[in-house]
Amino acid sequence: MDPGVRLMERVRARDAAAFEALYDGYHRLVFGIGLRMLGDPASAEDLTQTVFMKIWTAPDAFRGGSFVAWVSRVARNRALDVLRSKAVHPETEIPAELPLDGALDDDVFARLDAQRVRDALATLPAEQRGLIELGFFGGVTHQELARRTDTPLGTVKTRIRNGLRRLRASLGERVSQ
Amino acid sequence: MNGDREKLLDSVALYALGVLPREEAALIAAFIANDDEAMREYLDLRAAADVVAQTAEEPVDSTRSARMKERLMARVRADVAAGTTARTRPAATYAAWWWGTGLAAAAAVVFSVVTVAQDVTLRGDLATAQRRNATLATQLAQNDRVAAQDRRTLTDLLAPDAKRYDVAAGTVILRRDRLYFTFTKLPPLPRGRVYQAWTIPKGQKNPVPSVTFLPNADGVAVVALPADATRVGAVALSVEPEGGSKAPTTTPTFVRPLT
Repeated sequence: MDPGVRLMERVRARDAAAFEALYDGYHRLVFGIGLRMLGDPASAEDLTQTVFMKIWTAPDAFRGGSFVAWVSRVARNRALDVLRSKAVHPETEIPAELPLDGALDDDVFARLDAQRVRDALATLPAEQRGLIELGFFGGVTHQELARRTDTPLGTVKTRIRNGLRRLRASLGERVSQ
Repeated sequence: MNGDREKLLDSVALYALGVLPREEAALIAAFIANDDEAMREYLDLRAAADVVAQTAEEPVDSTRSARMKERLMARVRADVAAGTTARTRPAATYAAWWWGTGLAAAAAVVFSVVTVAQDVTLRGDLATAQRRNATLATQLAQNDRVAAQDRRTLTDLLAPDAKRYDVAAGTVILRRDRLYFTFTKLPPLPRGRVYQAWTIPKGQKNPVPSVTFLPNADGVAVVALPADATRVGAVALSVEPEGGSKAPTTTPTFVRPLT
């Protein structure tokens, strides 16, 4: 089981030591997401503080599944909030919250580490990998992806779909090895 | 499988990665919720998209890491000492705590930080962080309000108990006292023209002007109508001059009784 899941059970019971362990285990991930998306350490630090404080004050927001996946989405959504507050055209932004959270079967992915994911991503063709990374960390829409990469919109859709499928298959193989 | 369905399936990957604009995301979410094949595809691709985040993990310099941890743990310890439960302290109260009743805890933060590292530098850092926190808290409060509206819209669009009425290029969705237009392929309009929604109260014939809007480049639009849906007998859509009209000036694109 994802160690974060067990720690969250204790955090719900107001266990400060569990929260500290949670911070020690996952703050590098949250900070890293903030740094990739917001581009500067001070903003990443703000984001890390906000995300972990949210975990402490509202632990019931985590409803099971993979803690890593959940906390990553929380961090990404908070970073999108910050980007949205700076956006010139807010109506084109992607939504901060999506439904269906917690519906995933993430047991397999709980056993992945950053290096395995990087290795799996490296197996993708560069054009698929670039779109997926820019899409996830860039906080931009698919139209913006098409514009920035000078790629037709239909091609962007196909590359992202094929890339995610291939990544999913590759990750499954690596976990079973 | 028709072209529209294939197009929607193509967008499931974009939705899983989180790169769809808000209004398109609402449509795709509704599609996924009502289509088993789309749901399977979404769960697979969403899992793959989620792990991409892990590539961002990287070392944090020890001073910064200790500073963040001390701030958080000061708050956590204060909560534990006060016997505060998670449910009685929602996240929205964080800013109030930071600036108001949390002065003692803030003092504890300062003390802890000072004992961890250099005094003057970190005091300055803390003051800067407090200012940033205040700004961020204001931004987050605004964003939370927008996100709450989005969540309600998405919940309504996905709800099994919502009533759906097919119309030209889209669907009218009614849930409780709320009404939405969702379109997937509205034709583009010439400059200076907009689409305008109309509501026709129960027992009446004259349409009441509602919101004006334009679809995006793909012809997609999700519009919440500011009307009490329980009092609306029919809805309509027409093309009007920019700024809208008091009564329809063109033949309506559709008139749809909500029965």
